[in-house]
Amino acid sequence: MDELDILKKDWQKKGEELPKLSYNDIYKMIWKKSSSSVKWIFIISILEFLLPNLLFLIPSVRTHQLEIYYGNNSNYLLMWFTIFQYFVIFYFIFQFYKRYKEISVLDDAKTLMKNILRTRKTVKHYVIFSLSMIFLTTLLMAASVYFNPDMLSVFYKAEIPDGYTEAELRTILAIGFVIVGIIITSLIGLIYFLLYGLLIRKLNRNYRELKRMEI
Amino acid sequence: MSKDLEHVFVTELQNNQNIVHKVCSLYTNDRDAHNDLFQEITIQLWKAYPKFRGDSKFSTWMYRVALNTAITLYRKSKRKVNTQNYDSIIYKIKADEYDETQELQLKLMYTAVKQLGDIDKALVFLYLEDKNYTEISETLGISEVNARVKMNRIKNKLKTILNP
Repeated sequence: MDELDILKKDWQKKGEELPKLSYNDIYKMIWKKSSSSVKWIFIISILEFLLPNLLFLIPSVRTHQLEIYYGNNSNYLLMWFTIFQYFVIFYFIFQFYKRYKEISVLDDAKTLMKNILRTRKTVKHYVIFSLSMIFLTTLLMAASVYFNPDMLSVFYKAEIPDGYTEAELRTILAIGFVIVGIIITSLIGLIYFLLYGLLIRKLNRNYRELKRMEI
Repeated sequence: MSKDLEHVFVTELQNNQNIVHKVCSLYTNDRDAHNDLFQEITIQLWKAYPKFRGDSKFSTWMYRVALNTAITLYRKSKRKVNTQNYDSIIYKIKADEYDETQELQLKLMYTAVKQLGDIDKALVFLYLEDKNYTEISETLGISEVNARVKMNRIKNKLKTILNP
């Protein structure tokens, strides 16, 4: 008899040593709130969908951006760009919802993990998209400040401060935009990757383990 | 109607609670974590219960949900493996039933099984529960051949632990 069968014999006898919960104990449990990883993944993903959009609610970002966007008529392109952005965001939200609905605890372990990881991947693609959009927007702002002399008046309504030429100010502003863009993009990126890693560490490990068995 | 459903479900689960306790005892190391995982499995079972059609046995259906919860959905801090703790909780081996060598052997075996990865544990669990390879492969989503190969590897691993 091999080792595992000795264990099996013992295991089968375990019954009487296990805890016994009463009807009421179990009844109470079915009304408790779940703390499953899927639930957390859902909550965090929603936050990740909102986070980049919340940035535009910060007053200074909004006013400056809008003035640059719509302050001059030649920027219809930017308006279409915004519409395109929202179109893509809704596409991602729809995809995410579809994926989330596919997750079922009744699937086999591998399919369940695959579906959860696919849901996370949708969010990951969305975050990469938003981050590029945020960065691209700041680059566009930098470029428009640098190449369009009229733009300066948006930021300095009165007059140019002493000691600076107009060209110098434009360069400083443009560099400022690029730096702010890099900081915001990396900050959101960092938050995202921390959450991403923490949430699916165990899941990833187990999924890899199952995949490895197939080789 | 829904009161009936609750009643049937709780009764069924109460009668089959050993399965869930066994999963919990493999995947957790202390009583708090055990109860926590038990609760999460119960919630998942209850959430999935409307989809239980009765074309399989309640217990068969439970294995899948319980293991999926333990392997994939459970998200509580993983406590450190405390080898002194767990055998005093559930795996108290009755001294009068075994001679000392066998007792020690079993203790070593349980310790070894507890140290396996989540997936390996699931394989061992289903094997100990006397499930055949078809059921094991369907629960985990791997082929039967792979389940067999993996199981043999685990057996060898346990063998080396027992006979160094």
